[in-house]
Amino acid sequence: MLRIAVVAALLVSGAALAQTKTSIALLPLTSSAPVFVGVDRGHFKAEGLEVELKFMQSAAAVPTAIASGDADFGVTGLTGGFYNLAGKGAVRIVASQAREETGFRFNAFIVSNKAYAEGLTRVDQFKGRSIGLTTIGSTFHYVFGRLAEKQGWQLEQGQLRALQTVPAMLAAVKGGQVDVIQAPPPTGIAIDKAGEGKLIGWVADHVPWQLGALFTAPKTIAERRPLVERFVRAYQKAAAEYDANFQKGAPGKDADALLEIIAKHTKSIPEAVKAGLPYIDPMARLRVQDIYDQIAWNKANKLVDAAVDAKTVVDLSFVAGHLDLPR
Amino acid sequence: MDLRLSGIAHRYGDLTAIERVDLTVGSGETVVLIGPSGCGKSTLLGIAGGLLAPGAGRVETAGAAPAGCLNPLTYVFQDFALLPWRTVEGNVALALEHHPLTASERAERVDAALALTGLREFALVYPKQLSGGMRQRVGLARAVVVRPAILLLDEPLSALDAQTRELLMADLLAIWERERTTALYVTHNLAEAARLGDRVVVMSRRPGRIKDTLAIDLPRGARERPEHAAAMADLQARLWRLIEDEARVAEREVADG
Amino acid sequence: MAESAPRPVAFRGGGFQPSPRRWAPWLAFAAILGLWQAASAAGMLPSLFMPSPVEIGRALGSLAASGDLGRHLGASLYRIGLGWTLGAAAGLAVGLAMGLWSMARAVGIPVVSALFPIPKIALLPLFILWFGIGEPSKVATIALGTFFPTVVSAFGAVDNVPRNLIRMAQSFGLPVAEIVRKVVLPGALPGVLSGFRISASIALILVVAAEMIGAEFGVGAYILLTGNLMQIDRLLAGVVVLSLLGLAIGAILGRVEAWLLRWR
Repeated sequence: MLRIAVVAALLVSGAALAQTKTSIALLPLTSSAPVFVGVDRGHFKAEGLEVELKFMQSAAAVPTAIASGDADFGVTGLTGGFYNLAGKGAVRIVASQAREETGFRFNAFIVSNKAYAEGLTRVDQFKGRSIGLTTIGSTFHYVFGRLAEKQGWQLEQGQLRALQTVPAMLAAVKGGQVDVIQAPPPTGIAIDKAGEGKLIGWVADHVPWQLGALFTAPKTIAERRPLVERFVRAYQKAAAEYDANFQKGAPGKDADALLEIIAKHTKSIPEAVKAGLPYIDPMARLRVQDIYDQIAWNKANKLVDAAVDAKTVVDLSFVAGHLDLPR
Repeated sequence: MDLRLSGIAHRYGDLTAIERVDLTVGSGETVVLIGPSGCGKSTLLGIAGGLLAPGAGRVETAGAAPAGCLNPLTYVFQDFALLPWRTVEGNVALALEHHPLTASERAERVDAALALTGLREFALVYPKQLSGGMRQRVGLARAVVVRPAILLLDEPLSALDAQTRELLMADLLAIWERERTTALYVTHNLAEAARLGDRVVVMSRRPGRIKDTLAIDLPRGARERPEHAAAMADLQARLWRLIEDEARVAEREVADG
Repeated sequence: MAESAPRPVAFRGGGFQPSPRRWAPWLAFAAILGLWQAASAAGMLPSLFMPSPVEIGRALGSLAASGDLGRHLGASLYRIGLGWTLGAAAGLAVGLAMGLWSMARAVGIPVVSALFPIPKIALLPLFILWFGIGEPSKVATIALGTFFPTVVSAFGAVDNVPRNLIRMAQSFGLPVAEIVRKVVLPGALPGVLSGFRISASIALILVVAAEMIGAEFGVGAYILLTGNLMQIDRLLAGVVVLSLLGLAIGAILGRVEAWLLRWR
C-alpha cells in the first residue's frame, strides 16, 4: 500500500515536470473518435500523458496487443475473442467506447437486391436467411444472435457465412451471395444509394447494446493505477466534448474542428465521418448489464469458455455512475 | 540380307561428320567399323538403321529376310537402352508386343531368346539388379527375339570391363554362328575388331571417309587359339598403324574444339 | 628415406555416410514435448500465448469427443480431395501435352510462366464473384493452386525421359502411341509422383485459405474460428490436426510411390 502511494506520488510529481509516455492500440474507425479528440484537443496532455496511437490491422489484434504488452490501452468492439482473453486475465474493461443507442444511427442492416426482390424487406424476416459476417464471435454475429433471441427465432450455424473481412462481406451482399449483412457507416448508406443493396433498418433500433470499450491489462491497473485514472479522465473529457458537439441535436461550435481531426486519423473526409458517427457516452459510462448479457450469450453459444467470470472482465472503479448495474 | 550404303554424307550444322561413304555388308558377313573418336562411325550406324536421315546418299537392303523376321534392321546399344521399369522378360517382350503374335508364340520366342543368352533364370529380375554384362545380354536377347536380318551393333561392349567383354564376345560369336545374321559392328577397340570381323573397315578422322578395308581370313571361332596368336598380333598392329595418325590428329582436334 | 621401424597407417576414411536412425526423430520429438511441458508446468511459458502440450491434447480430445473433429476433417478432406484431383488431373493432362507436342509446349510455357506466380489467395475475392461462397470457390482455390505445379512437374518429367530409350523403341518399330504408353509415360512417372507430393502439400496449405470464405466446417475454418476467438489451445489443436493430415497424406503418397516405382 505504501509502495503504491510512493509510486503514485512520484508519478504525479513527475507529471508536472515531464509527460508520461503511454500508448493505445486501436483501429482507424470513427468509433475510436474520443481517443483522436483526446490526443488532438490536448485532453491527454492536460493529464500529463503523451499518447502514442498504435493502429492495428483487425479488431482481434487490439486486445492481443494489450495482452502481449505492446500497448498500455486499447479501444475496440467487444467480441468472443475479447472475452476469452479477458477471462484469462489478459485484459479488463475500464470505460465505454461506441454504443448502439436507441435514437442514434450507426450500423445498418443491408439486404441484397436479390433477397429484397424475394420479399426480405423487414428486420424481422432474417430466420433461415444466409447471413454474412466477418467471423464467428464478431460483433456482427452477436447482434444477429440477440436479434433472433428478441424476435423468438433460432439463429442456425448453417445460415452464417464467415467471410473474414469487411470488404469480403460487402462484396458478398452486393453480389447476392448472402442475403443480409450489417454494414458499418457510412458504407451502408453508400450501398443503398448506389443501388447495390437495400438498407432496411438500423441496429440501434432493434438491438441497442454496448458495442465497444476502453480496456487495459489487469497488471497495469494493479501496478500503475494512477496512469489508468489519468487516462480515463482525459478520455472522459474527450467523450464529453464529442457529446457536446455531435449528440445535442444541433452541431456544436467545434463540430467542424472535431470532424477534421477524426477524418485525419481515419484517413477519410469530414462529410463521410459526419455520416458515420457512433453514439459515445458523454462520461464513457458502460451499460454494465449488457456486458454481462454479452458474456452469457457468448457462453451459451460456446464461443466463450464457461469459466469466464463477468465480474473479473470489468473494473467499474474508474468511471462514476455506470449505467444498468447488475443486481 | 545385304546392307548397302551408297554416297552417304552427313552434316551437323557447319560440321561435316561424314563426307562420302560407300559400304556394302554382304549377307551373313560381319563388318567391323573402326575409327578415331568423332569420326562419324556412330552417325553412320544411325543412318544405316533409319534412326538418322542422311544428308545425302541411299541406304538399301537386298535379299530375303530369315523366316519369322519381325524387325530386319535391329540395334544393340552401347548403353543397353533397357526400360528400368520392366523385368528382363518384359524388356525382351517389348520388341514383340506390337506385332500380331499369339501369346504362346510370344512366350516361346522370349523364352528362346533368354535361353540363347543364358538369362532364363533372370526372367523376372529388374535391370538394376543385373551386372553390366548381364544387362547387355538382355540387349542381345531383345535383338535376337525379333529374328533380325541385319544386326547394327553400336559399341556394344564399350561400357563393360575387359573380362566381361571377353565373355560376351564368345556369346556373340556363338549367336552369329547359329543365326547367320548379317552384322555391322562399330567399335574403337582393335582387339574386338580383330576377333569379330570378317572385314574391318577403317574410317578416317572427321570428316569421316573410308580409309582402308582389311579382310581377315582366319576362321572367327579359331582366332584365339595359340597358333594364331602371332597372326592376330600382326593384324592388330596393322590396324593400329592405319588408325594411329588419324587418332593422334583427332585427339588434338577434340581437345582444340 | 632412412630405414626405420614400420608404422601402422592410421585409418582416415569413414563418415559422410548417413545411416538410418529410426528412433532418433521420435526421441527428439518426445524430448521437445517433454521440455515444453516442463517449461509450461514451471510457469516459464504464459498459457495465454503458449498452451502446454497437455492443454493442447485436452483441446484435441474434446474436439474429437464432440464429434466435430470428424465433421471438420470430412469437410477439409472433401475439398482437398476434389480440388487436388481436379487440379492434378488437369495439370497432368496439360503438362504431358506440353512434354509431348511442340505446339502445346510453345503455347503452354509462356502461359504457365505468366499465371503460375499469381498468388491464389489474392484471387479469393475474384473466386467469390465467379463461384460464389459455397463449395465451388473452395474447391477451385485448391484446384488452381495444385494445377500449375503439376503442369510444371509433368512437363519436366516428360522432358527428362532419356532420349536413348525413345530411340530404342523407334528402332524396334513401335508406333508413336505405343512409345508414349510404354516408354514416355512410365519414364515420366517418378517426376510426376514427386510433383504430386508437392501439389498435395500445396493443397493442404490452401485449404486454410479456401476455408476463409464462409466455411462452417473444415480444419482451416476451425483454425480461423479459434484464432478469432483467441482460443489458443484449440487453435494449436487444429494446427496439430493439419500437421497430422500432412503426415498422413505424405505417408500414403510414399507408399503409392514405393509400389509404383518398385523397379527403382
